Amino acid sequence: MSATFDKRALMRPNILRHLSRYRLARVVKSAITYAILIALSVVLGFPLFWMVMTSFKNQREVFSSFWPKSFELTNYERVWNAMDLPAHLQNSLYVTGLNVTIVVIAATLAGYAFARLRFPKRELTFYIFLAAMMIPGQAILIPMFIFLKRIGLLNTRTGLALSMTGGAIAFAIFIMRAFFRSLPGELADAGKIDGCTEWGVFWRIYLPLSRPGIATIVIFQFMGTWNEFMFSTTFIYKPQLKTIQPALYQAVGRYAIDYTALSSGLILAIIPILIVFLTLQRQFIKGLTAGAFKG
Amino acid sequence: MATDISEPLPGTKWRFRSLLLPYLFLLPATFFLAVFMAYPMIDAILLSFKRWDGLNPAVWVGLRNYRLLMQDDVFWKAFKNTAFFTIATVLLQTTIPLLVANLINSGIRGGAIFRMIFFLPVIISLTITGMLWSMILEPNFGMLNEMLRNLGLKEWTQLWLADRQLVIPSIIVVSLWQSLGFYLVIFFAALQSVPEDLYEAASIDGANAIDRFLHVTIPMLRGTIIVVVVLNTINGIKVFDQVWVMTAGGPNHASETLGTYLYRTAFGAMGSSNPQLGYATAIAILILIMSFVFSVIQIRTGQMREVEM
Repeated sequence: MSATFDKRALMRPNILRHLSRYRLARVVKSAITYAILIALSVVLGFPLFWMVMTSFKNQREVFSSFWPKSFELTNYERVWNAMDLPAHLQNSLYVTGLNVTIVVIAATLAGYAFARLRFPKRELTFYIFLAAMMIPGQAILIPMFIFLKRIGLLNTRTGLALSMTGGAIAFAIFIMRAFFRSLPGELADAGKIDGCTEWGVFWRIYLPLSRPGIATIVIFQFMGTWNEFMFSTTFIYKPQLKTIQPALYQAVGRYAIDYTALSSGLILAIIPILIVFLTLQRQFIKGLTAGAFKG
Repeated sequence: MATDISEPLPGTKWRFRSLLLPYLFLLPATFFLAVFMAYPMIDAILLSFKRWDGLNPAVWVGLRNYRLLMQDDVFWKAFKNTAFFTIATVLLQTTIPLLVANLINSGIRGGAIFRMIFFLPVIISLTITGMLWSMILEPNFGMLNEMLRNLGLKEWTQLWLADRQLVIPSIIVVSLWQSLGFYLVIFFAALQSVPEDLYEAASIDGANAIDRFLHVTIPMLRGTIIVVVVLNTINGIKVFDQVWVMTAGGPNHASETLGTYLYRTAFGAMGSSNPQLGYATAIAILILIMSFVFSVIQIRTGQMREVEM
């Protein structure tokens, strides 16, 4: 901005007018920027806002007014009891917890190896691992179904959690490798001089520094597993073991046009993931900025 | 896991361990990738050459499934829809997030708040997104038509998801709504690493905002743009969740995608009973080949650098 400042303007008597015109241009520019961003926020946020409003309405108000007259919590109560939401949320927590734990441990170790350790054919091995990222879930859906059935894990939450580890680990390795690469390599030398073993260098020096990277894969993986639909709906068909996404999808039929109940159900399913995101989001942005997607 | 610092550095035992160490680090990931990705993948390739209903023994039929697919009208319909969806989402979900990320990064205040608002739909699953937008787009009771009627724009009301022409564009808009924030955050993070003096130098040379965007931002973000295009392509080719929840491929296959067609053939929709697992897996293999080929082409044409990936 400052570069457009014209030296010759100083020589002129109407310097004030020039300055204010320059300032005006800036004000107009940021006003336009804000206008676009606010308009976009309204468009993006409105459906969510509408959903929250609808969840507080009683059934007569759904179509008659935009604002709920008396913020009622009865819809939440109704859905909570009718759908046995606590059970489904618990199933989702179990599946997500187990899956995220496995993926984070496996990917942190492997990401570190690909970024910092030396071994033959390191880059080639990395690209082979990375190829798994491109395999869409559909490709392994049916064989996975058969496999889980054979090892007795079909219709179990553990089986579902395990079935989602393969592709996820590849993506998480991709991010962790980028993150470990963004940390200075001199740290390892310093550690070795101080007498750390290779494991010590990882455990005492790099791991404590990798919190933003780990937060990033925790968020991605938590979102991915909590929100997963195709495997969840296929590998578990016992109603009481279903995770939250397929359970909600099934309930849609029951609540077809009962928008108040449906809205509160959707919101209850969103809350846990919202909490995870809000807790980790600062680290998440840091982790992303460290360069996972710089190409 | 004790770290014995006192361990002597030289010595065969130590050297052996440090040679082995990388493989120990890779062991857990390799195990899960092998058992829960590589093994089912190989199984899928074999299954696509068989005919199997899931009950009777599978029969090896060679390329029959693939040959039948080539003559299957619904498959081609699904293919066209998937191609259209993928091209549209790659274009929209790369350009719009890039532009918006630039606006947020232009030095205005409150950027973090906007970033947060735009990211909110991302944490919501595609399933929930689909259900929410089904409520909004429902022709009789939906919020959108209701709003249009209240604004006196009754002639603008549409059947949306029930309209053969509008169903795919509607799904594209819904997908854009959900994933804009995701790519936005990726671009925003990448923009932080573009050195400020590049912009200043460009300004001194007389470049305006558009010049700076075209000649500084885009070249500097090339790697990130490729990653976003590849992610969008992969997600487009395998699109399933939101389509299945909103329309299940209807009305009359108008929004059938490769993902929904595969699922319907394998597990049947609404309790249909004629699972064709081999045939469905052949579709899956085609999805895989397409994602792979397009990703490689995109990475190659973008000449992805190997550093800092």
